[in-house]
Amino acid sequence: MKEIFKLGGILLLVTALASGALSMVNKITKPKIEEQKRLVVERALIAALPTADPKAIEKVIENDEILYYIGYTTQEKTDIAGYAFVAKKAGYSSVIETMVGVDTTGKIIGIKVMEEKETPGLGTKIEEIKYGESAPWFQLQFINRYAGELAVDKDNGPIRSITGATISSRAVTNSIKEGLEQLEKRLGGFKKQANPTQTEQVS
Amino acid sequence: MSMMSEFSKGFYKENPVFKLVLGLCPTLAVSNSVQNAIGMGVAATFVLIMSNVIVSLIRKGVPKKIRIPIYIVVIATFVTIVDLVMAGFAPALHKSLGIFVPLIVVNCIILGRAEAFAGKNPVFYSFLDGLGMGLGFTFALTIISIVRELLGNGSLWGVPLMPPSFEPVLLLILPPGAFLTLGLFLGFFNWLDAKRDA
Repeated sequence: MKEIFKLGGILLLVTALASGALSMVNKITKPKIEEQKRLVVERALIAALPTADPKAIEKVIENDEILYYIGYTTQEKTDIAGYAFVAKKAGYSSVIETMVGVDTTGKIIGIKVMEEKETPGLGTKIEEIKYGESAPWFQLQFINRYAGELAVDKDNGPIRSITGATISSRAVTNSIKEGLEQLEKRLGGFKKQANPTQTEQVS
Repeated sequence: MSMMSEFSKGFYKENPVFKLVLGLCPTLAVSNSVQNAIGMGVAATFVLIMSNVIVSLIRKGVPKKIRIPIYIVVIATFVTIVDLVMAGFAPALHKSLGIFVPLIVVNCIILGRAEAFAGKNPVFYSFLDGLGMGLGFTFALTIISIVRELLGNGSLWGVPLMPPSFEPVLLLILPPGAFLTLGLFLGFFNWLDAKRDA
């Protein structure tokens, strides 16, 4: 009995020293890591809103939470190029965070996966860039689509899921769909899709 | 026990990958590019040196019964330090190594050296052992990754080197290519040894 307490005490001492050392390192690296995270968001915004001026993207904040971003075409901020938001959902082994940009009609114009720790070789393929290509093929499938269409092939949708990583594929797809629906509510609806056959002449 | 041999054994005679065949999980996973290989090698070498030094320093005060948990705590601490520093200062490398940085904790080379060497030897020898083994691991990862990146992607350190007509052997940067390349290297070194002993 006495020995258990002695061994436990030694182990406690070692772990206490280790956590002390780690908290010191954390103090030094934390601001750096946060800076890197900010840069990731900045780059993702540029990728998600290709039609916006990178210097004219505004945050819409409510209760300290970023609801969405508004991108303007110029720094005068007269014309809205589109909106962006972060879609989050638990995948197979991590929460996958994707920056999604849409134009004013709700059509996706750019997406970028910012954070994921899925299974290497399977789930991580949501970020895979094939040899000779410049953008991840999985993410390109979302471009020019509306919320209503978003579903993976296993759910009878048009998004080709990754072989062996249906859960990751579905998480990305559904998080974007849900995020879009939420954004639409917050904006009070998107503009009507431009469709020449249905436009009515107002005279 | 000569200092030089404690240091140099990790390169060839007891190379962790080619001779001891330890730490194959990171070897197979991150040898797809030279950048990843060297990044992983340097990270593992740092952890190996630090854990060897600390384990050797505390070896007389560590009760036999709980030595493994203590070693694991020491190793995990240094791995977390590497993980935090890399996330803050080398985010691109941190992202491309991904889960394999925290997994250095379970890299059997590190626990193996703590148990087989640092727990029984003085600090300076343990330091040399860690440095030699770490560099040997880095060396092994690097030569595997040179073959894989050059033939599988037509580049080295991300710089395209092959003529445009070169068709990359995609298989080599995929997981099967890791097994093939490692297997051929293991065979080659065994053949060298057999020839020398004959």
